[in-house]
Amino acid sequence: MSFFVKGIILEQKKEPMLTRSTLVMRQEFEYFDCDFPDAAIDELSAEQIIELAKLAGIVDESDGKMLWEKLEKANLGEGGRLIIDAIDDEPYISSQMSLCVHQQDKLALGIELCEKALNPAKTYIAMYKHIFDVNFSLPHRVGKYKVEKIGGRYPAENRAYRHLPKGKNSVVIGSCAALHLARAAEESRKMTTCFITVAGDAVKNPRNVEVPVGTSVEKLLELCGLTEEPEVIVVGGSMTGRAIFEPENELVGPTTRGVIALCKSYSGGKSYNCIGCGRCDHACPKALSVSTMRKLAEFGKYDELRHYDAALCIGCGACSYVCPARIDIAATIIKAKKQMELAKKEDMA
Amino acid sequence: MKEKLMFQNAPHVRQSESVATMMGDFVIALLPIYLMCFFYYGARSLVLGLCGVFFCVLFSLIGKIVVKERAKFDLTPVITGLIIPLLMPADIPYYIVISACAVAILVVKVPFGGTGNNLFNPAAVGFASVALCWPEVVFRYPAPMQVIEIFGESTAKIANSPAYSLAIGAVPDYEVLDMLLGSVPGPMGATNIFVVAACGIFLMVRKTINWITPVSFLVPYTLLSAFFPRIGGSPFDALCYELFSGTIIFGALFMLTEPVTSPKRDFGKFLAGLSSAIVVFLFRYFGGLEMGFANALILMNVFSPVFDDVCEEFLKVYRHKDGIVASFKKDKKQKPEETVEVNLIEEKIETKEEEAVK
Repeated sequence: MSFFVKGIILEQKKEPMLTRSTLVMRQEFEYFDCDFPDAAIDELSAEQIIELAKLAGIVDESDGKMLWEKLEKANLGEGGRLIIDAIDDEPYISSQMSLCVHQQDKLALGIELCEKALNPAKTYIAMYKHIFDVNFSLPHRVGKYKVEKIGGRYPAENRAYRHLPKGKNSVVIGSCAALHLARAAEESRKMTTCFITVAGDAVKNPRNVEVPVGTSVEKLLELCGLTEEPEVIVVGGSMTGRAIFEPENELVGPTTRGVIALCKSYSGGKSYNCIGCGRCDHACPKALSVSTMRKLAEFGKYDELRHYDAALCIGCGACSYVCPARIDIAATIIKAKKQMELAKKEDMA
Repeated sequence: MKEKLMFQNAPHVRQSESVATMMGDFVIALLPIYLMCFFYYGARSLVLGLCGVFFCVLFSLIGKIVVKERAKFDLTPVITGLIIPLLMPADIPYYIVISACAVAILVVKVPFGGTGNNLFNPAAVGFASVALCWPEVVFRYPAPMQVIEIFGESTAKIANSPAYSLAIGAVPDYEVLDMLLGSVPGPMGATNIFVVAACGIFLMVRKTINWITPVSFLVPYTLLSAFFPRIGGSPFDALCYELFSGTIIFGALFMLTEPVTSPKRDFGKFLAGLSSAIVVFLFRYFGGLEMGFANALILMNVFSPVFDDVCEEFLKVYRHKDGIVASFKKDKKQKPEETVEVNLIEEKIETKEEEAVK
C-alpha cells in the first residue's frame, strides 16, 4: 500500500552529538543497600534482578513506566522477544543511540540482565536505518546482541511498535533503562540521572549529556553554551516536543529525550495559501486525507471530520513538516480532534 | 533569554522547500522556452511574455486589495502570465493577451479567494475565452524564423499549423524532426518539443510536479492516436503528428500538473491523467476547434474532487480493514506519553489565543 502512504525521510542532523561521548554533569551519586551485595552478576536470579530494578528506582524512558513492573508483569511465552529501544528517528535526538556507540559494555551487561529476568527466545536492539550524515558506521552488534535496523520513514517508532507480534509476546525496554540496570547491579547505584540530547543551531557545544533528574533547562543550556539568544526552546523531540517559555522552571525528567534551542522561529508573519499540492496526504503515516481535514477543521465542521477518520491522527507532525506553504496543519487537526472528543463527552453526559 | 522566547507549534524542523521555491522552479522552467521563442520570432515574444506577467501581477494585486486577502503574495500570477502568451501565436495583438490575463485572474482566481482556491486552471480559461472571442486571430500562426515587429500590425507571413491540417483531415507537410525542433508554425511556446520536454523533466527531477500526471496522460493519448488515426499512412506517423502538434506536450507538463486544480493523491492523479487523455482525444477527434486541450482541461478540472473522493473511499477500506484501527488502540496503550504531549500542545495554543484576544 505504499502507493497511498509514502511517509517522509527526515534530515537526521545527528552530528556532532553522536560522535562525541556523553558529557556527565558533576554530581553526587546515590547508592542503595541490598540483601545480596556480594552475589556475582552472573549468578543473579530473575527475582533478584527485579528487586535490583525496584531498589534502584529505574524508569523506562521509552514509555515512562517503572522497569521492575515491566519485568515482573511481562509473561513471555514461546518465542517471546525482548527489544531494546534505541530507535531515535527524530532529528537531533540521539540520546538512546549514543549508548550503543559509546557505552557498549555496560549496555550489553544491562541487556543480559534483562534477558535473564525475562528469558526471551530472541533479543535484539532496534535502531533507525536511514541515518546518512554520521561519519562512522553505526555498530552492527552490541556485545553479543544484534542491532536490527528499523527501516521505513518517519515516524519509524510508531511503525516499529505496529510491526511487533500481537499479544503479550514481546517487551520493549529503553536502552537507558538497560544501562541503569547494569549500574545498579555493578555499583548498587540508584537511578538519579537521565540522558538528554542538547542540540539546535543556537547551542555552541551540542552533545548528549547525563544530568541529574530535575535539572532545569536553563542549567542544561548553560552547560553546553549558547552562541546567541534562542528564539525557541523545545523540550522533547524536535517533531513532537513543545516550545517552552520559562527555561528556569522547566525541569527535565527520565522521559525527556532532548532539549533543542533554535535561533529562528517558524511562526510569526503571514503564511502562504494552501496550493493543494497533496504532499501532506502522502506524508501521513495513517493514510488520512490531511488536506481535506485541515479545511474542515478550520471551518469547524466536526461531523464531516469524523467521516474522514480524524480520530486516527497520532499527531506526529509529518504533514506540517512537508507543507511548502508552512501551514500548521498538525496543530489545527489536533485541536479539532480534541474539541470533537469534548463534544462527544458532552453528548454522552 | 526569556524575553525573546516565542511560541511555535509542534514540528520544530521544517522542509526547506516552500511555495516560493516551487513557483520559482516553474518560472525557471518556463524561461528557456521564451529563449526559443526569441530565436524563432524575435523580441516580440519576450515583450508579450513581459506584458502577460505585468498585467497578471497587476490584476492579482488589485484583487488582493479588493477582497482583502491576508496570505503572502506568491509567484502564481507570474506563472499564469508566462503561460498564456506561450499558447498563442507570436504576432498576437497585445490587447488579446491582456484580456486573457484579465479573465484568468479577475474571473477565475480572485472571486474564489485567490491562490489555492480557484476551481479551474486560470491560464486554460484565459486562453479558451480569447479563443472563443477572436478565433481567427488566435489560430492564425506566422511562419517561424522571421522577425516580427515589436509594435503595430504584424506583416509576417502566415502558414498553416500541423494541428489545423490534422483538423481538416490532411497530412501535415512537415518533417517530424522539424516538429520536434519547433520550426513549424504553431503556438509560440508549444512547438519546440525538445525544450519543453527538457524543462518538464527538470520539474519532475526537482519533484515540483508529479511524474504520474504527464505519464498517465501522454501514454494513453499516444496509444489512442496510434489506434484511431485521423490521417492515412502508418500509425507511427499519425502518432507523431498527433502528439507533437498543438499544445499536447506543453499542456501535459505545465497545465495539467497545476497543483491547485488537480487531484491530491497519486491514484487520483493517475485517474485524472487517463480521463483527460480520453477527453482531449475526443475533443480533437470530433471537436470543431483545432486546439481542444484547454477546453478539455477545463472540463476535467470539474472532476478533480470526484477523483479525490474515489481515493478516499479506497483509503477508508484500507484504514479499517488492514487493522490500523486495532494497532492505533495498541499504540495508545504502549505509548501513553504521546497523548500527554498532545494535551500540552493544545493548552499552549489556547493560551496563545487568549493572549491574542487580550
